[in-house]
Amino acid sequence: MTDTTTNTRPGRLPAALRQWNIAVGALILGIVVLAAILAPWVAPYDPFKMASGPRLTGPTAAHWFGTDELGRDLFSRVLLGARLSLGIGFAAVAVGLVFGVIFGMVIAFSPERVKALLLRIVDVVYSFPDTLLALALVAFMGPGVENATIAIAISLIPFYARVTYGLAAVERAKPYVEAAQIAQAAPARIMRIQVLPNILQSLIVIGSIGFSSAILSAAGLSFLGLGVQPPSPEWGSILASGRNYISRAPWILIFPGLAICLTVLSFNLIGDGIRDFTDPKSRRRRT
Amino acid sequence: MLFFVARRLFTAFITILVVVILAGVLIHVVPGDPITAMMAQSGSADAEDIARLTAQYGLDQPIWKQALLYVGNALQGDLGNTIRGGEPVAELLLDRLPNTIALAVAGLGTALVLGIPMGFIAAVNRGRAADFAVMLIAILGVSIPGFWMGLTFIQVFSLHLGWFPVAGTSARNIVLPALTLGVVHSALVARMTRSALVDILNEDYIRTARARGLRERQVLLVHAMRPAMISVVTVVGLVFAHLLGGQVITENVFSWNGIGRLAIQAMLQRDYPLVQGFIVIFATSIVLVTTMLDLLYGLLDPRVRRR
Amino acid sequence: MTKASKTLIALLSGATALTALPAMAQTTLTVARGVDADGLDPQQVSTTQSSQITNLIFDTLVTLDASGVAHPGLAESWEISDDNLSYAFSIREGITCHDGSDFTAEDVVFTFDRALDPETRNPRLGQYGPIENVSAEDNVVTVTMSEPYGPFMSYLGSFSIPMICQSSVTADGDFEPVGTGPFELVEWSRNDHITLSANDAYQNYNPLIENPGRPHIDELRLVVIPEAVARMAALRSGEVDLAEPSLEEAALLDADPAFKVYSADLSGQQVLTAFTWKIPPLDNPDVRRAIGMGLDRDAYAMIAYEGLVNPTTCPAAPGLIGVDLEKCAEWGVSYDPDAAREILEGLGYTQDNPLEVNLSVHALPGFDQMHQMMQQNLSEIGVQAELETREVAAFFDHMSQENMRTEGTPVVWTMGYSGVDSDYMTTMWKAPGFVNMGLGGEMDALLDEQRTLTGNARVEKLQEIQQILLEEGYAVPLVSPGWNWLWASSDKIDGFKTGFVASILFNDVQIAE
Repeated sequence: MTDTTTNTRPGRLPAALRQWNIAVGALILGIVVLAAILAPWVAPYDPFKMASGPRLTGPTAAHWFGTDELGRDLFSRVLLGARLSLGIGFAAVAVGLVFGVIFGMVIAFSPERVKALLLRIVDVVYSFPDTLLALALVAFMGPGVENATIAIAISLIPFYARVTYGLAAVERAKPYVEAAQIAQAAPARIMRIQVLPNILQSLIVIGSIGFSSAILSAAGLSFLGLGVQPPSPEWGSILASGRNYISRAPWILIFPGLAICLTVLSFNLIGDGIRDFTDPKSRRRRT
Repeated sequence: MLFFVARRLFTAFITILVVVILAGVLIHVVPGDPITAMMAQSGSADAEDIARLTAQYGLDQPIWKQALLYVGNALQGDLGNTIRGGEPVAELLLDRLPNTIALAVAGLGTALVLGIPMGFIAAVNRGRAADFAVMLIAILGVSIPGFWMGLTFIQVFSLHLGWFPVAGTSARNIVLPALTLGVVHSALVARMTRSALVDILNEDYIRTARARGLRERQVLLVHAMRPAMISVVTVVGLVFAHLLGGQVITENVFSWNGIGRLAIQAMLQRDYPLVQGFIVIFATSIVLVTTMLDLLYGLLDPRVRRR
Repeated sequence: MTKASKTLIALLSGATALTALPAMAQTTLTVARGVDADGLDPQQVSTTQSSQITNLIFDTLVTLDASGVAHPGLAESWEISDDNLSYAFSIREGITCHDGSDFTAEDVVFTFDRALDPETRNPRLGQYGPIENVSAEDNVVTVTMSEPYGPFMSYLGSFSIPMICQSSVTADGDFEPVGTGPFELVEWSRNDHITLSANDAYQNYNPLIENPGRPHIDELRLVVIPEAVARMAALRSGEVDLAEPSLEEAALLDADPAFKVYSADLSGQQVLTAFTWKIPPLDNPDVRRAIGMGLDRDAYAMIAYEGLVNPTTCPAAPGLIGVDLEKCAEWGVSYDPDAAREILEGLGYTQDNPLEVNLSVHALPGFDQMHQMMQQNLSEIGVQAELETREVAAFFDHMSQENMRTEGTPVVWTMGYSGVDSDYMTTMWKAPGFVNMGLGGEMDALLDEQRTLTGNARVEKLQEIQQILLEEGYAVPLVSPGWNWLWASSDKIDGFKTGFVASILFNDVQIAE
């Protein structure tokens, strides 16, 4: 029987939405990754060379994105910046995910009283202004891209811990876990062998969100002068040094800003797409 | 029932205590001290002066002693005075807390006003161009760095168009920062609305309502949206808590006189009493919000209480 | 101006006022700064931004003209004993505090007593000098020192040592700023705004100011706008009348006829490069001088600072006592990368085997670009510099430790310092020194000595000190001023002036229609 009403009938290409998400996202991300990989060869100028052109000139044929306050070619810098932003993103997410998952699992398998307290604490740390946390961490560890990455990873941990807890808690209530506990299996073993594989898929989706968060955090840190050091062309760093030129040379803000925007967008689209794709409810409707 | 509430409140209190002590110890461990930072510009910052002032402010005491003293005072309601300028910390923060909360509420409101209609349009047109277009816009909002958006808004809306003032803390000033915060969080609201609505629209009772010949608009708005909003409400608490914490850069960019801006200044100056006071107030706010939500669920769902 | 003509002018202005339109609107000047004052008690604050405000509320015993010579202020005249140990100030009659009470010699004694009291925690205590006793008889205040103190008159004329009215301290021990300055406090909301109103009874004795009495404007409102972009937008849109511009926009505003840009010529600010001279090879003065020769200060001034500062050659700021830029140029180094390269190659450092250093700096507008240029300059002479930027508090802590090390990677670092008297070199270079940069030995003795001298003897001693700093390569002066020295206003503002150590003066300000 077909619905005669219009609005809830799935569109012409029901799977297209999920595929479009992933398709567009993957396309943009692909371009960014290519730029990151090929930057040293494709960049028309040395990103660090001052006075490649006259200072503070707008986009021209010779300099597609214009030049910055020290005469460096902005296009070359943005290209190389892709490498830094992606690198920081990957590293921070990897570290944050590992520790976040461990904490989340530990909380899920903790006794009741302790669990409530730990969750509350994770809540507070999660809501804590990233900026202040980052400030303290960077002051403690010193400047530089490695320490900035660690600071970002640490700020991601509460988020991953909370999500992992949520997923693990659901799993823990399931019969197969109860059975294992009755059989006196060690909690660590249960976590590793049985629960983890079941929540892995969801974690992949969550990972993509962490990515966007990491890249935005890196930009924010650089904005405060805490992250990557000049003359490193990390996108946030270019924005930070260039922000007072907003009236004089807006291109310094426009192009790196767009780069951040598009990269983060691509991760969000892919993450969204994967979630729609793996959501069992959507799958049901596809048939 | 009472036991449930008492337990929750007790957990809340312990949380705040733990966070405050932990944070307090951590700040002291971070390199840099308030006296040197303060004296650097005074033109007479020799080692003797610095040592003298350090002792006078009690900063040469072992960290655990300072922490104990602080917590003891805090429990009596005394958050001390700032190192720079000797102002009472509690007064400074509580004067500005309403501003931060106002901005968080405005940001939340904007996120809802933008996100719910977007989610609605997307759900109702699920699978078609409109769905994709709307969700793309929503995700775009969460992909833009907040400070970039803020600076651009100032240039466009304050300077070139002259619609809003640049700096200050008033009703006219709240629009741009609320917009900056709201756009970022509208994506989450839109996503929640969309997925909740999509689930509901496939329920049998919706089909029944349609079969009974009810007008489409009534079906959507009355029978579908209302239960969908319950799902959105679960996210509201999370968004609000996140907004409270995420305002620091926004407050700085828009010169909004809230506690976030004060906190970052305090951190840069290593003004320990002020930073710790901020943490106390911040942790208390977050814990209050999440505890209240918890209590609310407990009231609505008896199963939760027994846990 | 004679009393008669003053009266005539007053009558005429009064007459014109009567015929002018009724309902005199209050003129308010709105000023935007990036950072707020820490407090309004001049004996408890240390930052420029705080003193800029206290300088408006309180007056000083003496005032300084553009060459740094002391003139009468709240003190009508003074006598200094031959042994330079005793100062007798005759306090002017007829001055009233903001609350109406009379300002007398007792207020002066009160000010000194409170400043010197350890309970007050005065961060600027060192500037007062070795004071033994302060007493008053009639309207004469006598200050006795245990040793001669050369810089005393300079500090007395600066915003570090203003005179407080006794009524400032309430019965509970709270501080409510009551002074004799051109403006009185109306309200202060920390980190947000300060409102001041003109003091009707004000009498001016500051030679830098033309207006003899009450400021022309009625109200002064200083707001805090931390983000430079927002400050500039506020200035351009007319929301504020006067603002601290970003370095980057100052050049734009200067060229725009609708705006004016001001520079604090009497800033007393100095930016210089220093070295961790305990760590080899920076323990070799030739290496330090060679690095100095690699630094192109003219380019930094032109490009990093957009041409808004001057390259400088002395380790103390231009305009301060004992500072002779030409002599310093002879003693110090100038940009000569070829010579630098030669020296370093002679020691084994080449492009393939560069000298590795850390270039340590703290965040400050203009520093970013300058240090990237420095890094480039250094790489051209065979020095590989790793740039490290920290926020201020972390930076000071870091350098305190680095300056103590005797091995490892040497550090080339930059610092800025400001003051009203070259004596501030003592704070920096006398062991242990600011962030442990002190030199010790002969330098300590010289620095102590210059404090006890006055006049030409002092100038000579100060120059001896600077010669050592420059010839031994301990300091490589870069530019002056270096921070918070710029102001920008709309074209309608007239009469805004800056004073010593970047203080701001509003007495002469008038707003055109």
